[in-house]
Amino acid sequence: MSAILKINGQEKTFEKGLPATLSELLDSLKIDAATVVAEIDGKIVEREDFAQTNLAEGQAIELIRFVGGG
Amino acid sequence: MTTLKIADREFTSRLFVGTGKFASNDIMARAIQASGTQMVTVALRRVDIENENDNMLAAIDRKKCQLLPNTSGARDADEAIRLSRLARAASGINWVKLEVTPDPYYLLPDGTETLKAAEALVKDGFIVLPYIHADPILAKKLQDVGCATVMPLASPIGSNQGMKTRASIEIIIEQATVPVVVDAGLGAPSHAAEAMEMGADAVLVNTAIATAADPIEMARAFKMAVEAGRIAYETGLAPKTTASASSPLTGFLRNEE
Repeated sequence: MSAILKINGQEKTFEKGLPATLSELLDSLKIDAATVVAEIDGKIVEREDFAQTNLAEGQAIELIRFVGGG
Repeated sequence: MTTLKIADREFTSRLFVGTGKFASNDIMARAIQASGTQMVTVALRRVDIENENDNMLAAIDRKKCQLLPNTSGARDADEAIRLSRLARAASGINWVKLEVTPDPYYLLPDGTETLKAAEALVKDGFIVLPYIHADPILAKKLQDVGCATVMPLASPIGSNQGMKTRASIEIIIEQATVPVVVDAGLGAPSHAAEAMEMGADAVLVNTAIATAADPIEMARAFKMAVEAGRIAYETGLAPKTTASASSPLTGFLRNEE
């Protein structure tokens, strides 16, 4: 069953169903969890909670990282 | 040279370096090293989920350099507060360079929103270093709500125009009880030295180093200029006069009449 998440403002369809947790989502996107911070529906998820954070259809997820800046 | 104290931390270097616009992480790392800085600014942006993301933090030696996340991109207080909290979650650091710049062209800071965000962030336990126009009244208000420094701009961000706001920065320095960090627009080591000679506690430089033909050598030049300016300030400049001969006014190779 396909499911949708809104990631960084863009809808992404998961044909085989959602990744169970935020950690699994990051793995599927090949993103190193140690380098990002996440927000789900406007609420910050601490990095140590990524593995225990379950995902649900339709959530808005922001994945953010540090870049060079002045 | 005396050390710089901000909140509970002491810094022997008075040059803060921004990490934007470097051609590579390697050049950035070497410029940071050459600058001798102990504080570098970083920004937060969305991860690109389609492409591989570069981990610039890996290039920063966090034992030598404290990270100072900024809130660049924030257009109002709420966005700045959100970015500050994300930065804290991402880095474990509760320091923030607060910037609220709704104007996308000149990138000038919004003083009203900055003050609102500063107040909320201080209450939330942040060490707040606000980027502001060189406005002495606003600087005082930010100091009064508990900001750890004030960071007035010398001229618009990235403009390399130097100390265009000099007269107002002089007043801020005279009145401030928190460190004054001159930020934005310092395009040459001489600009940084000028700010330090005036009594600024530190300067923040990014574009002038990152976009120089040789960022590593330019970082070294800024380091020297900041130290020279600070030493001159601490020593006290000799007074200005109309004219005063440096060589003796006697014993000329002619007969006095």
